[in-house]
Amino acid sequence: MDYGHHLEFGAFVNPDSADPAGVVDLARRAEELGLDLVTVQDHPYQPALLETWTLLSWIAGSTDRIRIAPNVLNMAIRPPAVLARAAASLDLLSGGRLELGLGAGHFWDAIAAMGTPRLSPGESVDALTEAIELLRAVWAGDASSPLEVPGAFHALDGAQGGPAPAHTIPLWIGALKPRMQRLIGAKADGWWPSLGRLAPGDLAAGNAVIDTAATEAGRDPREIRRLLNITGSFGPTAQGELSGPPSAWVEQLLPYVLDDGVGTFVYAASGGADLERFATEVAPALREAVAAERHARSTPVGAVVPLAVRAKRREGIDYDTVPAALAATAVEPGHAGFAGVRNTYLRGGSPGLVLRPGDADEVAQALAFARSQPVPLAVRSAGHGISGRSTNDGGIVIDLSRLNGIEVLDVDTRRVRIEPGARWGEVAQALHPHGWALSSGDFGGVGVGGLATAGGIGWLGRKHGLTIDHLRAVEIVLADGALVRADAEHHPDLFWAVRGAGANLGIVTAFEFEVDEVGDVGFAQLVFDAGNVATFLENWGALQEAAPRDLTSFLIIGRPRGGQVVATVMATVDSDDPDTVISRLQPFATLGPLLQQAVQILPYPAIVATPDGGQHGQGEPATRSALVEHLTPEFAAAAAKLIHSGVSYFFQIRSVGGAVADVPPEETAYAHRSANFSVTAFGAGRTRLDAVWDTQIQPHANGLYLSFETDPRPERIADAFPPATLARLREIKARVDPENVFRDNFNVAPAEPGITAVAG
Amino acid sequence: MPDYGHDLTFGTFITPTNAAPATVVDLAKATEAAGLDLATFQDHPYQAGFLDTWTLLSYVAAQTERVSLSANVINLPLRPPAMLARAAASLDLLSGGRFELGLGAGAFWDAIGAMGGPRRTPGESITALSEGIDIIRGLWDTSTRERLVVDGEFYRVDGAKRGPAPAHDIQIWLGAYKPRMLRLIGRKADGWLPSLGYVKDLNDLTTSNATIDEAALAAGRTPGDVRRLLNIGGTFSAQRGDALLSGPPEQWAEQLADLTLEYGFSTYILSGDDARSMMILGQEVAPAVRELVRAERGADRTDPTSAVGR
Repeated sequence: MDYGHHLEFGAFVNPDSADPAGVVDLARRAEELGLDLVTVQDHPYQPALLETWTLLSWIAGSTDRIRIAPNVLNMAIRPPAVLARAAASLDLLSGGRLELGLGAGHFWDAIAAMGTPRLSPGESVDALTEAIELLRAVWAGDASSPLEVPGAFHALDGAQGGPAPAHTIPLWIGALKPRMQRLIGAKADGWWPSLGRLAPGDLAAGNAVIDTAATEAGRDPREIRRLLNITGSFGPTAQGELSGPPSAWVEQLLPYVLDDGVGTFVYAASGGADLERFATEVAPALREAVAAERHARSTPVGAVVPLAVRAKRREGIDYDTVPAALAATAVEPGHAGFAGVRNTYLRGGSPGLVLRPGDADEVAQALAFARSQPVPLAVRSAGHGISGRSTNDGGIVIDLSRLNGIEVLDVDTRRVRIEPGARWGEVAQALHPHGWALSSGDFGGVGVGGLATAGGIGWLGRKHGLTIDHLRAVEIVLADGALVRADAEHHPDLFWAVRGAGANLGIVTAFEFEVDEVGDVGFAQLVFDAGNVATFLENWGALQEAAPRDLTSFLIIGRPRGGQVVATVMATVDSDDPDTVISRLQPFATLGPLLQQAVQILPYPAIVATPDGGQHGQGEPATRSALVEHLTPEFAAAAAKLIHSGVSYFFQIRSVGGAVADVPPEETAYAHRSANFSVTAFGAGRTRLDAVWDTQIQPHANGLYLSFETDPRPERIADAFPPATLARLREIKARVDPENVFRDNFNVAPAEPGITAVAG
Repeated sequence: MPDYGHDLTFGTFITPTNAAPATVVDLAKATEAAGLDLATFQDHPYQAGFLDTWTLLSYVAAQTERVSLSANVINLPLRPPAMLARAAASLDLLSGGRFELGLGAGAFWDAIGAMGGPRRTPGESITALSEGIDIIRGLWDTSTRERLVVDGEFYRVDGAKRGPAPAHDIQIWLGAYKPRMLRLIGRKADGWLPSLGYVKDLNDLTTSNATIDEAALAAGRTPGDVRRLLNIGGTFSAQRGDALLSGPPEQWAEQLADLTLEYGFSTYILSGDDARSMMILGQEVAPAVRELVRAERGADRTDPTSAVGR
């Protein structure tokens, strides 16, 4: 039986502890020769051999392309919980190049001499079965959910899950007996015996046991790769099995593929010369011969989707028709790495499919596929969004993280092309060496795409304006798949709409910005006792409005504790002159008793640092947003009531104004140019937050900033856009997205036919 | 005493975050580029946010050429000693003698237990560590062909083959603060590796050194057989300050030289994951400390032990 696997060829390297350099050289040679796999046996009780995991890690650090596998790991001696993390780590370090061969242990006298408990053959199979479950449980988990895996030999009792490996690591099992073969059929991804230990007929018999067990478990036997360790030598004339010219090898190996289903041959060569003949003469000729036979026999070829992956697929998505260009990088719920892409910064999610296009054409393909499926669609740049819902339940996510280029187009005009999946911390790092910066928000982990289509109220906003004010052109994939370049001359209405309502119109695949010259900046964190919070807010607001434009400050107040209200003012001064920085900050010292202060001159990237780590949000955030012109006594009193009510655990006011107000309101879809302040509250519960916000803050609001608003009530759309802006947006929406594909967040409904918008 | 006269070495303590593996590897390369002697990584195998320390050490060793490597420190309860001995020897052979073995008895027993590891009282963990050291040293010792038997309370080997022998005499350094562990260091270890951040009072260092020295002498060793290493953290700034390791490089150098001459430390391992600070430590602080210490020791003192990693 030929299972139709893509043929692979590997090297079996002997880990001779007397010649470490020679071992590593042969592994490197295997890579140079174009082999697929380098493998190392594991007998930890045998001092003549280098320790296998150490050697594999070293080989991974010494090679770039070749995949690496133990052949096979002695699971009697290696505790699986630590191995799970070690394997994921090696896979992450090596860029997804680890495969795992596992064995139950064989030489029990030597194993016991190492201080490891002696198991009967039956017990060792049970222990391996538990180890397999445990490895997969750790890889599929994440740090936030403790794992309970019961077992007689190996158990987890509240251990953290993760990390997820870079790819789904296959488990290939070395085995000779039916009990192990049944385990392979039920649970493993490969069978990996050595030819020298098999009698004629053993392969067929073993395959039959494996295939029956697989079928009983609901699996397709083709899920299980068949690997074979072989020995042999080269010479001018054939002298028995695998001893002779390459042509004889090909003739002898061919039946193993066609009749016994072997997909991987791993050769224990006696040296580099034999390995070279195997790699350069046997491998290509055998591939050719197999391809010809498979063609003649119409054997189905290629990978099948494992049951474990199929079982986790969601209703309504036709997984088999995902475009080929996207299939390789798509993440399904059953894939390794799903835990790392399912959630966003503030939301838990469980999408049915995450597509990760690598260029604009693939974005269009992803969009066309998503439109053909009757499930929700979400678009994600980095997934930090507060209002932006870039995950879902059972739907499709188009994840733009691979579109993350940052390229300087023209030094003289400071024109920079940035793709939506880049994060602002990375943008800051890339621009800093030129002496440039682009004001974005207050956090480096935020993605470019969401922010640059909404506004961008950042650390340098009063001096340099909103992020969208620096936008000169976009490339955008529209609902019908067309890739359009929009700027002041081309599609000017679309270009207008993207700057404030872009998420409703398409998927921007590139932004062209004109960035600013920015040197080091002054950055202060001033912590106040804001006992009289209304007075504090009013005074801070007045100071901020009166300040020169090079000062932009944000204020944060948490939940009052024991009657004390603590306000943190974070202020950026666009100057690297200490005297200027101090003179700008001096007036703030009068606001109230200072509890802590820190003032530094820092490179701009230091104040928008990019965090490491995945996103593990859960639930759904409850936030409200308001834009206000002045912090009037009435507003300040209302805000004090909100703060003292305790419904908000995080209350922030960002100063806007300055250069932001220089842009006429009709010039971009972000129209609330007269607002000097953006007010945001995060609440633990929506109902309680809304009750206070609706009565206290809303009456003072003159619009809202949609990136920070999560209230789903339809009237919020009218707060986000003034009537003329909204009417123009609806008219444009009717043209570019009449079927309302992009409706996930703050939906601007397309204008009804026959209604013409007032020109904005 | 208390200056034991060891040559001075400097290293880094790098957080093995698995969210950005390349950043971690780059910091190890930055350690080497800064001219430092040693790169170390903490080992908490129950911590899912970290790369596996052994895998990382081996991978980084392959990507560097000169710097020595150690865990800071290995979690023995989750890494059984017989395997650890062979792995350590293998890494030392592959790296041409660049591996040292920082070892710890384990501390976070709930997390260790959650991973399927043992739960031990502090006393038990020290006994286990002592047995572990016997097994590790026994397996490295290929001067005899006699198979190794260690019949401990927590670890036993029963007729294991010895070897492979490492490329150099791998030093065993223990992280410790309490008298029982300090006495174990005096009896069996090659180094004491505390963290300055956990030291409440510098006088405690003097007391600890005395405990180690006494135990060493009682075991027929000399205090100089035990290197004193220190994990440090701090900030570089233009202004001199009162605090330890918060000021310009000259002030750091004076303070570290003082720690060498007054408290016997000879290896300083900097945390903070900052390539710029590593460069200052390697290029400015280290030469200045060496110069200050050399001047103070005079020409008649010679180094009784080998340098780290050689």
